Amino acid sequence: MNLRSRRSSAEVPTASMADIAFLLIIFFMLTAVYSTTRGMEFAFPKDDPQQLNVQPEEAIHIKILGEGQFRVDRRSMALDEMGEYVQSKMEQNPQKPVIIQTLPEVPYFVMIDVFDLLKQLQVKNVSVPTQSEIARWKVFGIFE
Amino acid sequence: MKLYREKAVRPTIPTASMADIAFLLIIFFMLTTSFSPVKTSVELPESLERSEVDPNAAIVAISAQHELVFSDGESPGVDLQTPDQLGSLIEQVVMREPNKQFIIRADRFVPYRNVDEVLEALRSHGAREIGLLTEQKTPRRGGR
Repeated sequence: MNLRSRRSSAEVPTASMADIAFLLIIFFMLTAVYSTTRGMEFAFPKDDPQQLNVQPEEAIHIKILGEGQFRVDRRSMALDEMGEYVQSKMEQNPQKPVIIQTLPEVPYFVMIDVFDLLKQLQVKNVSVPTQSEIARWKVFGIFE
Repeated sequence: MKLYREKAVRPTIPTASMADIAFLLIIFFMLTTSFSPVKTSVELPESLERSEVDPNAAIVAISAQHELVFSDGESPGVDLQTPDQLGSLIEQVVMREPNKQFIIRADRFVPYRNVDEVLEALRSHGAREIGLLTEQKTPRRGGR
């Protein structure tokens, strides 16, 4: 009677483990929608009577008519000219407010371009009024 | 003369560490990805100036097809039919967290009117901090 059995070495089969793991990686990569976490910030003016003292007549008024078509203080300008104009005004008065008015049909990125330019020039008071506010201001003859 | 017969060695590829590498990659991707609760695909506008926005901010997305999606930052986004529905949703969020940041994730070619409607809703329902998501713009070479 042969009592000695052959020893087989104990083994965990791990060959397929890598396949499973790579499958999971591919699945997560294909289903992931990455979120962008950077952008431009702006705050609405607080409902504080102290802050409402800004006179819109004193502000630089930028009207965006279309891609590359801007009217700054009632004068037509290109984006570069506008940058120079705003910068010269900022040198005189760094607190000077800037109002951006965008026509409804203009693509969103044009407004972002202007907003970005103003941020580059470190304009502190940028105001983006909504259509209803513009309508209200028009009553006072501030906008064209 | 007795020739020594070499024992045949079975050829194997060592794959045991493959799984370790794959799982390491999975863990890396899991830790570094941040998922967006709003899965609407948009082509964001580009800007040079970008700052970090709050990762838990509420999101309003406007797709190129003018679809409006809202998420409070935790629950998945809901499709909205009209911008009027946005008001009550914003109000709920502001009631819970008055200083919650709202992010606008709009497609670059969306007419400004759609963005304006969202801004209007945010403003009239008490939102204070607004972020406009953008992609990084590569500065123009040569200074022009």
